[in-house]
Amino acid sequence: MKKILGILICLAVWSGASVIGLDALGEEQVAGGMASTAGRGYAGGAKTGDAEGLSILNPARNAFDTKVVFNVNFLMDMVALRKHGDYFGVRNVIMPSFNLSFPMGDFGAIGVSLWQSYSSNIKEDVKDSAMSMKTELEYQSSVYEIVPNYTMRLPIIRNFAIGASAHVVMGNSMRDISMGPDASGLPSDETWAVSKTKISDHVDGTWEVKNHPAYYTLALQYRGHQSSFYFSYTTPHTLLNKLDYNFRMSELDTLAPTKRSREVKVPAMLATGMNFRFMKRNNVMMDLAVRGWDEDIENIGGSFSMDAVTETQKDMLVGLGFQRDGSPLFYDPYFDRVTYRLGGWYKTWYVKDVYELGGSLGAGFPLGRKGTTLDIAFQTGKRFADNSRDWDETFFGIRIGLMGVGSWGQTH
Amino acid sequence: MKKKLTLFLLFVAFALSACIFDSDDTVMGTWISDRGIPSGYKVQSLSIGDLTPVSAEVFLDSAPSLANDRAVLGTAANISHDLVFDFAFWDTLFFADLKKADSATAYLALSLLRPFYTSKSFPKDSLPLKEDLTLTVSWKLDKGPSKSFVDSVGKVSDASWLSSLKKWKPDASADTTISVSITAKDTVLRLNMPSDLIAALKKLSKACHLQLRLSAPEAARTYRFYGAGTNYYPKLWVNIPKVKSYNEFNPFRMSHILSNKESCTDCAVLHGGVYDSLVVEYEAAPIMKALSEFYGDEFPYQGKGNDVRQTVVLAQMTFARDDSQGTSELGLPVQVVVGSYVDSAGKNVRQMEAYRLNKELIASEGHPNLVFYDGDSLTLQVTYGLRDLINRAQDGSTFKMMMRLGYPVLQAKDSTYSDHRTSSGDTSYVFFSHFDHARYDFSSSMKQPSTLKLWLANKRGDK
Repeated sequence: MKKILGILICLAVWSGASVIGLDALGEEQVAGGMASTAGRGYAGGAKTGDAEGLSILNPARNAFDTKVVFNVNFLMDMVALRKHGDYFGVRNVIMPSFNLSFPMGDFGAIGVSLWQSYSSNIKEDVKDSAMSMKTELEYQSSVYEIVPNYTMRLPIIRNFAIGASAHVVMGNSMRDISMGPDASGLPSDETWAVSKTKISDHVDGTWEVKNHPAYYTLALQYRGHQSSFYFSYTTPHTLLNKLDYNFRMSELDTLAPTKRSREVKVPAMLATGMNFRFMKRNNVMMDLAVRGWDEDIENIGGSFSMDAVTETQKDMLVGLGFQRDGSPLFYDPYFDRVTYRLGGWYKTWYVKDVYELGGSLGAGFPLGRKGTTLDIAFQTGKRFADNSRDWDETFFGIRIGLMGVGSWGQTH
Repeated sequence: MKKKLTLFLLFVAFALSACIFDSDDTVMGTWISDRGIPSGYKVQSLSIGDLTPVSAEVFLDSAPSLANDRAVLGTAANISHDLVFDFAFWDTLFFADLKKADSATAYLALSLLRPFYTSKSFPKDSLPLKEDLTLTVSWKLDKGPSKSFVDSVGKVSDASWLSSLKKWKPDASADTTISVSITAKDTVLRLNMPSDLIAALKKLSKACHLQLRLSAPEAARTYRFYGAGTNYYPKLWVNIPKVKSYNEFNPFRMSHILSNKESCTDCAVLHGGVYDSLVVEYEAAPIMKALSEFYGDEFPYQGKGNDVRQTVVLAQMTFARDDSQGTSELGLPVQVVVGSYVDSAGKNVRQMEAYRLNKELIASEGHPNLVFYDGDSLTLQVTYGLRDLINRAQDGSTFKMMMRLGYPVLQAKDSTYSDHRTSSGDTSYVFFSHFDHARYDFSSSMKQPSTLKLWLANKRGDK
């Protein structure tokens, strides 16, 4: 395990993931980017069990858990961008979420997650023969959320649970384009004055929810013998990105920053999902989440010839998955104790004319007797971008989740 | 087993990705331009003519300063340089001998700054330096009872001593004329001390604190010596023939005191080798107006939602120059050092300007920031100042710059602009390491319009 973590840290120096929506919010980490969920095509929000843990879309689910679940996720992402027959690639390692859920029996369950909901992430140097100096491009933007959650099963109708979570938004955004002069407009005897002078167009700022400490998700979950359902509603909110713009020669030689705030009006989201269990340990599941964006998103870029806004569309995720649960019995053969997952999804991005089709294959390997699990999901797919700005992206990612399970405070 | 498999898969995946996903710069360039990200900031140049300063004021720091390293005595370029020597000694036998003597004499031996006088760059035909120098010697003499008195004098800080010199009230003074003749072989200048000084010393018996000031306001030139802190420190010799004793006393510190003999107080005159500066101030309005016309909109334009500001990559101010109004000792070109006043966390501070080399121009015509040189213009780079002005354009602030005479330049067409080692291993000196006691009158330059040239970068795009 130490080796795996070591590799992850080493790989973390590579950067770059999906670059669609780079100037708006960045790439969304659907469903907290959890490896277990990703393995079954981002479906399974309705699936209940002893130790399913938190679901970002369905804060009512963990009411049915009986065990304390700690879960941390990594994503190694490789994206090939393609257009006009040209392509290039970017790579990235991120930790999309940490989750902790803590069942309290009749008192319900509490949980908290730290979730990188959106991220813009790229760092590249570009030099071609036409440029006198290389351009260094860097985006580092993360919308982080701390999401405390409480859920409980209803009295009398114990098959139902309601849950709520608050999303406290924080995070920062930074965009830096460091470039050399384009002296093509100068007479040749004047170019000496600017040669090799780099200037950075630098923006940095912070994220928060405007006029509110948080935004909220409410959910209702039904757990049947074979079928489970959930419905959730996430409140609309406005993300506030306070920015300082600078045009600077160096970190010390700057202009007085131009202060500006951009507001991203995130609409309400409706999500639902179902899980059908058959032949004891086999499940099929489907989830649907819809968010109808109706306003453009102001871009962080907004200078030179960069677009001032990113146009939006209805953002929708349809996930379809299969999961064969591993046997909980320690003396069963190892391959029978492994959980197997398979899934696919179709997603329309919040960025206009961008669609994503993906598939995944995953497994959960139990480590030792205590219920610790290593979840691995391989995902691949394509994002189709039908606008002049974005390129099509073929992606391949490996998600790794570590899940620790405990039975604190419970006696047998 | 599982761990090994996982590790293997990770390695394979990333090894593959390293090959397949290696980014190609040309393709990245296409991607960047699709997004409207520039591959370089656009630079435009703009000349703004007919700028005349609203004020041009000179400042001279005439506060006493330490001369422990190099010392200057005499008068040049309407600046008179006095020297003050600080002696303190405790010698009972000396005072006893002096008291008995009736024909004691004293002189001050000052070691000439030979690297200056023997330098290849010092005009050979000016040696020997001959002059009947009228010297005013004045002194303050305090007596003391013991060695501890001498120690207490030594404990007075330099700053306190320099400050006390601002109000110089001597106990006595005497004028003397010395026939000076300095040839290339001379190492020391001997200055006989007046007999009144001996007489005053005779009255003491144990210890003394002697502050001795030399002034030569009528001198034809300045003389350069080593200071009290060097190996060639000045020596005060007292000869008492009766007891065949020759006594040497050394000052433990020295000070320069300047006096400005310029008769024209409004003139924009700078001097070499002293702390003076010419501060020139321009109104921002004509510069802003020219920028506004250049960009075709109100300046500073804040943009609609977009940050479209501009910054100054380089700025230079060109003045008309007339060297005939100046005088110089060495006949070498002299650099003009420049600074501007910029905002630093709400305070207006002076920042020395960087100097970007226009190598082609330097190779053909020499550095543009020299006086006493070919040509009739002086071009000074004021990038920091203009960058700050445009940055704070809304404030209605003015543009203020400062000039000062720097070192004489030995190689005006050398584009390194610093002393350096050549490929053959020799040191190539671009600057002469001694200041020229020159005088340069910028008054006519300040009355004529100057031209500001700006190289501007901006964030405006095509859209």
